[in-house]
Formats: sequence, C-alpha cells, structure tokens
Amino acid sequence: MNPTLSRPAWLLLARLGAVALILALWQTVVSAGLLPSMVPGIADVASAIVTSLSNPLFWGALGRTLLAALAGWMIATVVGVVLGLLIGSIRFLDRSTSILIDFGRSFPVLALMPVVIMLLGSTTTMEIVVVALSALWPVLVQTIYGARRQEAAVADTVAVFRIPAGLRFRRVLLPGAMPFIATGVRISSAISILVAVGVEVISQAPGIGRQITLMQQNQQWDVAFAYLFFTGLVGWGIAVGLQKIEDKLLTWKRQMND
Amino acid sequence: MTIQDSPAAATTHVMQVRGMSMSYGTGAAFNPILQDLDLDVVAGEFVSIVGPSGVGKTTLLRCLSGLLTPQAGTITVSGDEVHGPHPDLAVVFQDYSRSLMPWMTTRENVAFPLQGKGLGKAERNALADENLAAVGLAGQGDKYPWEMSGGMQQRVAIARALAYQAKVLLMDEPFASVDAQTRFDLEDLVLKLQHELGVTILLVTHDIDEALYLADKVVVIAEKPATVVDVIETGFGEDRDQLATKADPRFAEARARIMHRLKKD
Repeated sequence: MNPTLSRPAWLLLARLGAVALILALWQTVVSAGLLPSMVPGIADVASAIVTSLSNPLFWGALGRTLLAALAGWMIATVVGVVLGLLIGSIRFLDRSTSILIDFGRSFPVLALMPVVIMLLGSTTTMEIVVVALSALWPVLVQTIYGARRQEAAVADTVAVFRIPAGLRFRRVLLPGAMPFIATGVRISSAISILVAVGVEVISQAPGIGRQITLMQQNQQWDVAFAYLFFTGLVGWGIAVGLQKIEDKLLTWKRQMND
Repeated sequence: MTIQDSPAAATTHVMQVRGMSMSYGTGAAFNPILQDLDLDVVAGEFVSIVGPSGVGKTTLLRCLSGLLTPQAGTITVSGDEVHGPHPDLAVVFQDYSRSLMPWMTTRENVAFPLQGKGLGKAERNALADENLAAVGLAGQGDKYPWEMSGGMQQRVAIARALAYQAKVLLMDEPFASVDAQTRFDLEDLVLKLQHELGVTILLVTHDIDEALYLADKVVVIAEKPATVVDVIETGFGEDRDQLATKADPRFAEARARIMHRLKKD
C-alpha cells in the first residue's frame, strides 16, 4: 500500500482503477471487432450520455419510470411490513401462510404479465402493479424473519407492563424487526427499478424501458447504451442513499453487535 | 405450609398466594415445579424469596407476575384474583440488557409503559426524568442503554418499574449479573427507594446474604417440587449497613438457619 495515501483515498483510487480496467477491456474488444458492429465504443456512448442530459424526452421517460418504480416499491414496503409483522408475530398465521409465502416468493411475476396487461392494459397502473407484486416478497419475507426473532425478555416486558397491541406493534415489533426490514427494503428498491424497466421493454408502457427499445430499433445503439447507463446509475444511487439512512436509523443495532 | 403474620398487618395484604401448584409436561415427562405454595406480602414490606438454583424461583416469579397461570391455587393482588399481569405489579428482570429496548433512549424506556397507561407526553417524560433521578441517573435520559454499564442499565430498569407506579415490585435476581461492588450499591439503592417511596418489594434470589440484608421477611423455598420450608422475620429495622448489619449476631443466626434448611434437602 502506498504510505503517502490515506486509506479512503487509496480505496477510491482502486475502485476507479477497476472501472477504468473494465472500460479499457470494452474498448479493446470493440476496436478489435470481436463484437457485432452495432456495439458502440466508449466515446460514442459518452457523447450520447452528454447529449441525453439536455434531452427533455429522456428526462420525461426516466421520470415516468422512476415514479412507477417508486409507487410500486412503496406499496410493496407498506404491505410487506404490515403483513410481515402480523404474520411473524402471530404463530398461527406464520404456520398457516408459510407455504403460500414460499410459493409466492419463487413465482416469476414477469411471466404473469400477459394476464396483467390483458386486465389493465399497457398502462402505468399495470406497471405499478407488477412492480409491487415483484418487490413485495423480499420485504415480506425479511419482515417475517425480523418479527419472529423478538427477544423473550422483550415479550415478557411488554406483557408485564400491559402494553396495548397497537403500541406494541409500532414501538416494539417494528423497531425490533427494523434491521431485517431494512435489508428487505433495500433489495426491493433494486428489484423495483429492474422490473419497471423490464415491464416497459416487454409491454411498451411509456418510460425509459420503452425508449431503450425504440433506440435499439432505430439503430441508435449509443443512445440505448447511454439510457442503460443512467438506469444503472439511478439504481446505484438509491442503494447508496438507503444504506446511509439505514446506518443512521440502526445505530443501536451496530452498537449492540460491537 | 403456612406463614404466620403479625396480627396488626393481617388486613393490609397487598399480595396473597394460596395453595399454588405448577408443573410442566404430562405423563412420563410430568415435572412438578411448585407444590401447594402459600405466601403473604404486607403493604410496604420487603420480602425475599430465597432458594437454591433450579428450585423453581423463576417459575414462581413468572406465576406471581401473571406471565404464567398456575395449575392450582389462587394469587390475589390488591384484592383481585390474578389471571394475567396486574397493573399494581411491575417486574425488574434479571436480564436487564434484553428487557430494555435498545432502540429507545433511557427516558423513552422508562416512559414507555406510561404511554400504555394513556398518560400524555409531557407527563410521561416528567415522570421518567423524576424516576431516573431517583435511581441516580439524573440528566442521563438521552443516553441509550447500550451506552451504559450493566449496573446503570439495571438502574434504568428499576426506574421504569418505579415510574409505572406499581404497588409491588417483583425482582428476579436483579443483581445476579453485575460485579460485587455494583451489587452492594444497587442493594443500598433499592433499600433507600423502598423506604422513601413505601413501595412493597418481593425479591427472588439464590443469595442468602442478599436475601437477609434486604428483607423484612425471608421466605425459604426448597424441595422438589418446591414449597415454603421456612419464614424468617429479620427485624433489622430501617438502618442497614453492608458491614454492620452483616456482622449482627442475628444475621449470622438467621443465615445458619437458612443454610440448615436448604442443606436438609
């Protein structure tokens, strides 16, 4: 390790190096003609990225996709957390729903899309429904895990001090399960964006997914790649943001583990 | 087994147990824990229940606190027959680090049961701060339990039980997992609080010295299934001292009597 560089600076350098390496590899492969000619070089994609920044059509499409993903994700989070806390804390419910939940989480919701499109059409509502159905499972399963793991001493305390059910739900079960819920919510956020884009590609519902397909059909591969890049950037940004919020909210958990 | 009470106090029982029995399992796995247990606790009294490890003290305390329902017998608190946790009872658990909620500050932990009672926020926080001060944690309300030592966490648990304004405090080996010096400090704190607030305390412990030092009355439980084998009025009065009281000849005498009782089994 370079002694003149601080640890974080060194890490940043190493990460940038990894990115540079991948880009160099890509350019080499494209320049050598190893890939079909429609794959654009780095310079083309970079210029397409810059042009997209001033394209209102692009921003509109990205905004639509993000709104649909956000709506589906929020529905999934609220439904998943409430259902998960109920199921995880009531043994009868936990036992009777376990098969249903194992089935649901492994069910490919995208395969259900033709049915959903038939019912709701190629609309944003349909997109939100599919996103919510896909993003629900990680939140639900993680919340059930979290609610199940309530400490016996905490349960005794709640019983002895006669804490009413609603208060127990909000101030004991929910925060106690929060470390697990946070993981589920983070996984779901990534799924939400992936599914939203995927739904748009398949169903041609308006959004960045549809724009990517249109650009490909127009042979504007550089623009299609630029849009893909932005989609990835947004997903990454959200994951980083959620991790930051999680670190703040769950200080107690980290302290307890130390 | 019966317990003799002083006649004057007979009408002020805050807790009475009659013929309580408890067992786990059935058939070949039948495991009787408590048998035909009687107990009388007078208002304002400090009662220690002492017995060897594994005798069923925790089961007894869980029955008394309403967390378990005994198979036979009755428990009355403030004249009501108990069928679940009673509002006049609060418990200080042995496992303080787990019975406090790590996501709440100490003030929130102490105030939380009061929210269940329907008190307003200002009132809850005032009561919490007042009781934190009473256990020597004035100004520490914004700290989290995990920022505190074990002894301090147990003080928070005591403050929570006091703030709940229960008539009877049940304590399940509350000082078993702190170091000796902290333990003496906590014992003296509990004595002081009991005298100042007039609260009734029922402490379960395996430590004979602790039982004697703190209590007005020591109830000895032993045998299998467990039952009351002796009741000793300590008569040390209000002024107790870790050195002087333990050097009192009556202390040594009572200690020998309890050890003898426990050894016989």
